Amino acid sequence: MWLKRFSVVLAALVAAPTVAAEPETLPPYVPAYEPTTVDERGLWSQADELELLYKRSEHLIDDEELNAFVRRILCSTVGNDRCDGVRIYILNIPAFNASMMPNGAMAIWSGLLLRLRSEANLASVLAHEFAHFELRHSLQGFKNRRSTSDLLAWTVVLGNAAVVDTRNSQISLVGSIFRFNRDMERQGDLLALKYLRQSPYPSRASSQVWQYLMEEADARAAGRKIRRKDRYRAGFFDTHPTSLDRADYLLEKSMEYGDIGNAEQSAYFEAIRPWLPKLLADQVRLNDFGGTEYLLGNIAGVTGWIPELVLARAELFASRGKPRDLITATTLYLDAIDKGHETSEVLRGLGLSLVKSGRRKEGAEYLERYLAQNPDAPDAAIIRMYVPNGDE
Amino acid sequence: MFKIRSLWFILLFCYLAFASSDLSAQEKTGNKEGFELEPGSVRIALLEPSVRVGSQSTGGMFEPNADWTEQAKENLEAELARKQELLGNEIVRLSLDNVHQSRELVQYHALFGAVASSVIEYQFFPGNRLPTKKKSKAFEWSVGPDLADIEAVKGFDYVLLIRTKDAYGSTGRKLLQVAGFLGAVAGFGTAVQSGEHIGMAGLVDVKTGDLVWLNADLAMGGDVRKVEGAEKRVQQLLEGFPGSSDSED
Repeated sequence: MWLKRFSVVLAALVAAPTVAAEPETLPPYVPAYEPTTVDERGLWSQADELELLYKRSEHLIDDEELNAFVRRILCSTVGNDRCDGVRIYILNIPAFNASMMPNGAMAIWSGLLLRLRSEANLASVLAHEFAHFELRHSLQGFKNRRSTSDLLAWTVVLGNAAVVDTRNSQISLVGSIFRFNRDMERQGDLLALKYLRQSPYPSRASSQVWQYLMEEADARAAGRKIRRKDRYRAGFFDTHPTSLDRADYLLEKSMEYGDIGNAEQSAYFEAIRPWLPKLLADQVRLNDFGGTEYLLGNIAGVTGWIPELVLARAELFASRGKPRDLITATTLYLDAIDKGHETSEVLRGLGLSLVKSGRRKEGAEYLERYLAQNPDAPDAAIIRMYVPNGDE
Repeated sequence: MFKIRSLWFILLFCYLAFASSDLSAQEKTGNKEGFELEPGSVRIALLEPSVRVGSQSTGGMFEPNADWTEQAKENLEAELARKQELLGNEIVRLSLDNVHQSRELVQYHALFGAVASSVIEYQFFPGNRLPTKKKSKAFEWSVGPDLADIEAVKGFDYVLLIRTKDAYGSTGRKLLQVAGFLGAVAGFGTAVQSGEHIGMAGLVDVKTGDLVWLNADLAMGGDVRKVEGAEKRVQQLLEGFPGSSDSED
């Protein structure tokens, strides 16, 4: 009899952990918030240590202008008072991600900057991370994982003692941790949308970010000849709602808000342009032809085919290196030169593409010019092998 | 049918029970062959110790505790400072902040932790030795030769690194342990370990990066939150420290 009661209690507890209802208005703002409870102070002290690792990381991009730009977007979205509590760290990692620590340290990966098309897109990502901070999601997630794993431990021990098979309860408990996390992400998305609604940017830009990611994933799958997948429902172990789900509910809510504003597309690329060559070079090295082609085409949709994009596209084709690709690459390198972009990367790439297509003499001329510009380049010795009499 | 299903649990708990009994047979100290230290012959840099203290939740999660960590840092540092004269050689404490190349030093601290964990797993636990460590019992571990390039440790012969992590079993964890034990009366018992007390102290040769002496244990004694406990912990960490006056016994 007590076994039945035990499982009923268990079922109730398994169903219990859900995130508190979504706040209707912006949460009240507390200046210079300091944690007080043992749990929160512990998490903050751990985060403080991690933040030092960010500060000392060799991946940190500490360019003043770029940091000031990202900060300006955050502040104009969530307000100057609120953004005071946040430190932003831009990390040199060529993938789409951003994260928030409980103490107000926000990390932005460089690959994220390449996957957005406007200040409004960036604002939506920054506001989402800020929402995690404002709603103290690290603490909530920690408490949820703790109480759920406590329950899991008791389930195992008591189940053994009573010789009851508790595996189904164990599985639902584990699932509830991931579900809780998805709920927090959704809550972050929706609060971010409220910030966007009050900002100069249109909230509809939030949904766009996820649309771009899905399109890129499709292009990548097509390039790699693998099946693309679109899912509404998150899987058991998913920590976030699916991109399709997010694109959908964010669009629905932003249409409800119906706010308008300037997404600032050109201004966005103007701000990140000094970093574009580096971001693009990193992207080309990811060996993702389809995805990279998609990104280049879409950025060009805003900026036009500026030389940086032409060069990146040339490098993309040259790195795949099929005979036909080398013809395309050669053309694109020449286009870049026509646009006045005769950089050492262009000379080197053009020279090598020509040499690989069997036009050694013409290739050698460009490589010679490359070596003249960079006599101490790290690959100078190997490039010299392609140049007649270059190995003096 | 039911019995077969629970076989999985029985196996798991047998494993847990054996695993914990093997811990006692584990070695705790390693010395590079032929390494000796004459008192008063070298200079040693003591890197700021890495200290983490918290509790262990019922489910076994680490719960960081800011106050305990602060307290333990203070206690351990004070005790280390007091102990320095007994160690036989000149020891200078290096703080991880505000020194040139502190980023690299922090990385070496973490690398030392990873190497020491490997030593515990693959050398100190004889049943789990790597194939290359089975035949020769030589203690050959290193953090790599580039340590010598770091400005802050120039002029030192050795670096002493200390790391501790303590998770004190919460009341819930202790209750769970008792329940797991009593479970055997009605059905199956469950082995639950309460608390985790990891400590490692190692001496690294600055010129070669070789680990010349290591003291590491997953079950250290001494409550680092208290002054007397920290005294006991430092005593255990530095037991048999090369060149110290008590290294003979």
